[in-house]
Amino acid sequence: MSRLNRRTFMTRAGAAASSVAVLSALGPQAFGQDKQVRHFWWGNPERDKRTFAVIDLYNSKTPGTVVSGETLGFADYFTKLTTQIAGGNMPDVIQQGYGVLFEYIANGAVVPLDDYVGKSLDISRIDQSAIDAGTVDGKFYALSIGANSHMAIYNTRLFEEAGIVAGTDFDPYGYTYDDLARIGAQIKQATGVPGTDDNTADYQNFSDFIAQKGVKMFNPDGSYGATQEIVEEYWSIWQGIRDAGATPPGPESAGLAGVADLSQLGVVTGKSAMSYVWSNQLVGAQGLVQDALGAAMYPNTPEMIPGSIVQPSQFVCLTRDSVDPEAATAYMSAFVNDLDMTAILGLERGIPSNSDVRAALEPNLSAAEAVSVAFFDAIQGKTAPLDPPPPSGSNEVEQTFERVAVSVLLGEKSIPEVAADFLAQAKAILARA
Amino acid sequence: MEKFFRRNFAGYAFLAPWLIGFFLLAIGPILASLYLSFTKYNIVRPPQWIGLDNYFYMFQFDDRFKKALQVTFSFVVISVPAKLIFALGVAMALDKGIRAIGWYRALFYLPSILGGSIAVAILWRQLFNYDGVVNSALRLVGLDGPYWLADPKYSLWTLIVLAVWQFGSPMLIFLAGLRAIPQELYEAAEIDAAGPLRKFFAITVPLLAPVIFFNLVLQMIEAFKSFSGAFIISGGSGAPLDSLLFFTVYLYDEAFSYLRMGYASALAWVLLLIIAAFTAIAFWTSKYWVHYENERG
Repeated sequence: MSRLNRRTFMTRAGAAASSVAVLSALGPQAFGQDKQVRHFWWGNPERDKRTFAVIDLYNSKTPGTVVSGETLGFADYFTKLTTQIAGGNMPDVIQQGYGVLFEYIANGAVVPLDDYVGKSLDISRIDQSAIDAGTVDGKFYALSIGANSHMAIYNTRLFEEAGIVAGTDFDPYGYTYDDLARIGAQIKQATGVPGTDDNTADYQNFSDFIAQKGVKMFNPDGSYGATQEIVEEYWSIWQGIRDAGATPPGPESAGLAGVADLSQLGVVTGKSAMSYVWSNQLVGAQGLVQDALGAAMYPNTPEMIPGSIVQPSQFVCLTRDSVDPEAATAYMSAFVNDLDMTAILGLERGIPSNSDVRAALEPNLSAAEAVSVAFFDAIQGKTAPLDPPPPSGSNEVEQTFERVAVSVLLGEKSIPEVAADFLAQAKAILARA
Repeated sequence: MEKFFRRNFAGYAFLAPWLIGFFLLAIGPILASLYLSFTKYNIVRPPQWIGLDNYFYMFQFDDRFKKALQVTFSFVVISVPAKLIFALGVAMALDKGIRAIGWYRALFYLPSILGGSIAVAILWRQLFNYDGVVNSALRLVGLDGPYWLADPKYSLWTLIVLAVWQFGSPMLIFLAGLRAIPQELYEAAEIDAAGPLRKFFAITVPLLAPVIFFNLVLQMIEAFKSFSGAFIISGGSGAPLDSLLFFTVYLYDEAFSYLRMGYASALAWVLLLIIAAFTAIAFWTSKYWVHYENERG
């Protein structure tokens, strides 16, 4: 180090500054000794609490592996995942749902698990139906973390106050839309709270209704199965329920179209006595409400053709970007098999697919979980068979339905007009996809 | 050459963060999006060249594209003049030599700092909810407020009010412009018995024209690009009934909900051309109404 004049000082400072930038770009993992596994899921406060507890437990049981959890609400989850795919930095283990899973498999973002089965990944106690649901073209991709079905959840206190007794005045597993209009109006009269959320813009209910009319949502050639008559009838039925005074006002429901947040459900905000969810959401919703929630199927037509399906609620999958697939699949294995871990997870993601886990959980169920189990026992034989994976574009059809249904809720256009508009758009979307 | 590098290395080293940022984060993505706009690209599979198909589809078949244009134009045409008039009004009030003017300036500028943020958009949602503050206030005086956010007749207006509320930066620029107008002109006009209106239109507006023009162009570009308020208030989808489907929200929806990155890139380029065209029109008309003091006339 000779004379330090201004220029040499500046040169060295510049070089030093750029080397710092290089080091920070390498990131902390480059120096870690442990195997890193990143687990990413969409959730709600209840699920996040349980999942982080499970991660802590796994980390303390398995020295040498560090699992880190990342979570987002459902609305943002897939956006983030998309950017991570583009950036090549997807977490090792991701959560997937039944519909969208197949697009990720087709895209190659989710990779097969067959190489790890019997080694780091144990699926010997998993139900065959769950394994089948995660298998595409003979390769096993997705590990089911719970079975799911459509469920109507209702505030038992409000039902009681209106003098409605489940089983006598109201059959939770076999009521019609007409029953719902009558009961809903009765609750509104007795308590001031409308009896039910308005499902005019709810695609889950609509998809049930299509099946209840004995039609498949997608024809074998991939075109849309619902007809003008079915769409019109669906919206007219809900119009009738709304006109009976059984729902919140149309514009209020319009503001909630397409909102998937549990905290916005009518039973949670207190704006209605009954809301419509996936069965695994009961535990999360119960965590947000004081009054005990009851469970029912979705309403049906007098013909009682089954509309709801039972399907894996969620899967854990291994991604193409996984750095250490051995460690990642070992964690996935523990997530569905380890009795201490599954005891913490409970039924929050659905009914577990591992028979040992189910048996171990049974004695220690919370009230909401017991309701879930009773619901699953009761719907056996009353559900429709699982459809083949939907064609791409189905997601966009769903969002289009939720969008255009708002005109029905606001009474801006006639039901036949909106129905024709929806079907024209659905056709265009499926042709383009 | 070697000598050049030795002499200037330090300079480039210090420029490096900016240069890297400019090429990597600005020029690179801009060129990439131009290329992608001629492809079909869903992120996971490699882009597939389809020529001008994205553009043809947009102008021939895409009804949501037309709706997005309509919503964005309505927003620009209403919110920009409203915001400029409001900003000028406040600036003129503050120009009267009020005490503690620094406080007022800061106070009025505050919404501009906050306004673009997600937190304020969420706050706006709460204010204009059916059970929100606005309707509660209306109920106090016996009025039953509408569903501001759920009814497409009103939803865009809540966003226009949000935009106008962020009048801070044009106001500051107006204030500086007002200060630059020589007082003698007003005094001379008063001697000639000019009223306040006459003074405003004969002195303030012509002398402020360059500043008005500057604010107009800046605010117009900003309004075309407006995103976060509409995104948050509409829940990301332009709801209700696409009444908040700003061009940028539609672009985002196409890109991230449906993974049509190629199509979204084409949309982005169309937006760029629209903004460029409107800016060019504004510059062209400015010849007729904006005069600069140092111009020879």
